[in-house]
Amino acid sequence: MPEPDGERPLLEVRSISIHFGGIQALADVSFQVAPGEAVALVGPNGAGKTTVFNCISGVSRPDTGSVRLDGHPIDHLSAARRARLGIKRTFQRLEVFPELTVRDHFLVADRVSRGDGRLWRDLLNMGRPTTAELEAAVRVAGVVGLPDALDTPVAALTLGRCRLVELGRALAGRPRLLLADEPSSGLDVTETAELAAVLRAVQRDEGVTIVLVEHDLDMVAEVVDRAVVLDSGHVIAAGPLSQVIADPVVRRAYLGRTA
Amino acid sequence: MSHFLDYAIPGVPYGCDFALMAVGLVLTFRATGVFNLAFGAQAFTGAFIFDLLVTAHHVNQWVAFMVAVLVVSPLLGLAFDRFLFRVIPTASTTAKVVTALGLLIAIPQAIPIIFRNTTSLQTTGFWLDPGHVYLNLAGSPVNGGQLSTTVVTLAVAAALVAMLRFTAFGLEMRAVVESRRLAQLEGINSKRTAAWAWVLSSVLAGLAGVLMLPLSGGNLVPSQPLQFTTLLVFGLTAAAVASVRSIPIALVAGIGLGILQNLITGYLPNSSILSAQNVKEALPFAVLAGVLLFNRELRTIEVSSDPLAACDPPPPLPAVAIRDPRLSVPMTWGFRLVVVGFLVSAATWVPDYWVTALASGLVLSVIFLSITLITGMGGWLSLCQASFAGLGAFTAGELAAHLNLPVLLGALVGALAAATTGAVIALVAARLSGLLLALFTLAFALFADGLLFNLSWLGGGNTVVVPRPQIGPVDFSRGDRNFLGLAFVVLVVCAILVKLIQRGTTGMVLAALRGSPTAAASLGISMLRQRVIIFTLSAGMAGLGGALYGSLLVRVSSLSYLYVYSLAFVVVVITTGSRSVEGAVNAGMSYAVLLLILQTYFPHYTGLEPILFAFGAMTYAAHPEGIVEYQKTRWLNRVARALQALDARRARTAGPDPAGPQPATVGGDISGA
Repeated sequence: MPEPDGERPLLEVRSISIHFGGIQALADVSFQVAPGEAVALVGPNGAGKTTVFNCISGVSRPDTGSVRLDGHPIDHLSAARRARLGIKRTFQRLEVFPELTVRDHFLVADRVSRGDGRLWRDLLNMGRPTTAELEAAVRVAGVVGLPDALDTPVAALTLGRCRLVELGRALAGRPRLLLADEPSSGLDVTETAELAAVLRAVQRDEGVTIVLVEHDLDMVAEVVDRAVVLDSGHVIAAGPLSQVIADPVVRRAYLGRTA
Repeated sequence: MSHFLDYAIPGVPYGCDFALMAVGLVLTFRATGVFNLAFGAQAFTGAFIFDLLVTAHHVNQWVAFMVAVLVVSPLLGLAFDRFLFRVIPTASTTAKVVTALGLLIAIPQAIPIIFRNTTSLQTTGFWLDPGHVYLNLAGSPVNGGQLSTTVVTLAVAAALVAMLRFTAFGLEMRAVVESRRLAQLEGINSKRTAAWAWVLSSVLAGLAGVLMLPLSGGNLVPSQPLQFTTLLVFGLTAAAVASVRSIPIALVAGIGLGILQNLITGYLPNSSILSAQNVKEALPFAVLAGVLLFNRELRTIEVSSDPLAACDPPPPLPAVAIRDPRLSVPMTWGFRLVVVGFLVSAATWVPDYWVTALASGLVLSVIFLSITLITGMGGWLSLCQASFAGLGAFTAGELAAHLNLPVLLGALVGALAAATTGAVIALVAARLSGLLLALFTLAFALFADGLLFNLSWLGGGNTVVVPRPQIGPVDFSRGDRNFLGLAFVVLVVCAILVKLIQRGTTGMVLAALRGSPTAAASLGISMLRQRVIIFTLSAGMAGLGGALYGSLLVRVSSLSYLYVYSLAFVVVVITTGSRSVEGAVNAGMSYAVLLLILQTYFPHYTGLEPILFAFGAMTYAAHPEGIVEYQKTRWLNRVARALQALDARRARTAGPDPAGPQPATVGGDISGA
């Protein structure tokens, strides 16, 4: 299994396995991601990519194996605790807060990540957003391309724009590790290209580590340096993206043939 | 051993009745996705019609049975399906539970009024004579009532299992409950399937009610029709044991509960806190709470979601979000004028009996605000708010009686006690959500009624005096006008607290949790932490309101805070609007005023007020924001349209804009931000 050179990995997935009823969703999956790296998790439908995300983010608990962040095991931590450690994610099936505006999404993510927003502050009428918080929300909206929709309730946005809200929300929460689960789903070609540029910028400029699950290999090529390929819950290949795509085993898993 | 059988065997028929309820609940849930809390009301209807025909009209019991169980009950089930649940097939669990709660409260109250009959239901036997002993089992005589209940239950359960397992109709039912819309796309007539499920389960409810009559010993009284709710609670406990999935397990669990209840009566002493009566009362709580907490399979009943749920429209925006900014000033001043007018009127010319009603409305509004916090903002359905209120009242009363503590201080201690209890409930039920959490709170309400409020230091089941307070020279025991002022101040403080929470980070975090708990957790929001906070605040507020209510009435007993009031309170608040402070205040005031109007002008129709609200709760699925909020939104929309038309007319009069048309923007101007 190729490892990031030199430094201690930010994320370490060690031999995780999980089954749902009689289905083995993941079997002995291992990989590492270095700080600041962008890695793709690719594979055909049902390969177990989202399950890996669920195990990393704490939504699911693996039957065996372990997940480590900065070298420390986080298996015993709840999803909320892991998020407070800097693991932020987007979802394959859209998960937004329909009653909140775009601005509220970014504000709540920002405050929770800073541990701000205690009840006593609300009771003393100190819960209103500060200028700095509002500016931060505008900045995030600019990054994800939603500056015109800040005051719009997300219930009034299209699916593609809601995907951007999800991404913005994750970014507003100051992620150290961003798990992006099919972020281009529902976006057109132009929007996908813009999203890829945003992810690349976030990784390069802000040093955010990214693990990307995506079917659009053009977008994957834009964003990541390395890929881990899953098929039926097993890691079948890992390494630089171009090398992985050329791997006959990977081609067979994707296309059912080697050519 | 013979003693054991002496106690156990008579418990079997009761257990069979519980089992019929449980089987009906499982059937309805499996086929329609509705956890039908109105089952108790359906059982009551069947029993009432049967008894009315036999005892009042001397109709042959077989004819009466046919009419009650095979005609009226299925029609009632069909009506539920056709006019309520078919309209809301994809509504949330909370919406369905609230609709069923509305029925549970409205129907048993309405039927005796409709038929003008409030005498006791007789011990009318069905099929076999309850006065005749047909056989002896291990020395225990088994009479006709017990035998017919047992035989009918077992036969019905066997027929149902066979139908669900071996017929195409059973398969269709299972498909419909997974996704009504997907089943429909596959060519299954899901409406017909669901309608049949309602008919079948309603027949079971009617049957359970009729079979309960000979077992009740003439203790079922229409004026307290919610006795059938106890039957329902045993039924839903047995259904919970079966994870709301397996009819055979529900059957066995129901019978087991009946036997257990009888064994308690036989073996436990009749004195001390663990008296047979106390434990028997608390049995549903203990078993239901235990099953909810430890039956892991039960937690998955709400996990599977409809794959087509994304087709559902988003929740409606609050009225304030669509309000034209030009309306802010007139509405604010209008509201202030109304408040001042209310206070001046209450202090001067309003008659005393109206002052009492208004004071009662203000105090109830404090309790109802606790529902705004927990249900409107938290999204958790609590069915024990009246129990928290009772805890506050009894604590204040007992502290005043035994420690001479000023009653306002006692009320604060009572609020603290209720808040602590709320926090404990939130922690214990940490893994429960939605329907299961609601049932757990109902279990606590039963525990409070059966055991907690019978403790000597919480009233001991007797009347407790909660004196009126005195602050300096102001004596609140001299008439209700002073007390109204006190209630107003407390309500304003509580309302401001709720508003501040709503507008602050906590409000946003709760909206996030309501929208998507999974996404909220991915941001670092702890559901448990928020739940403990809101349960604590809500229970504390209910405790404070309960203590004030006790002080208004001066004498209260455990009957003043029965669990049925918790159900009624939720229904009332949800009818008017659970998401806003205005909704809670509207609920409190209208409930108290309606009660006074009915008592004064329609004394024959007491009990009508919960019916009106309960029917209102059935609109919850269509208008989750509440009737008042919905009407407010409609009105604001109408005004906004009128203002826009006015603007357009002015623009036409003024002529074209020399700068040309301005481009439309999706959002607002963000430069100010």
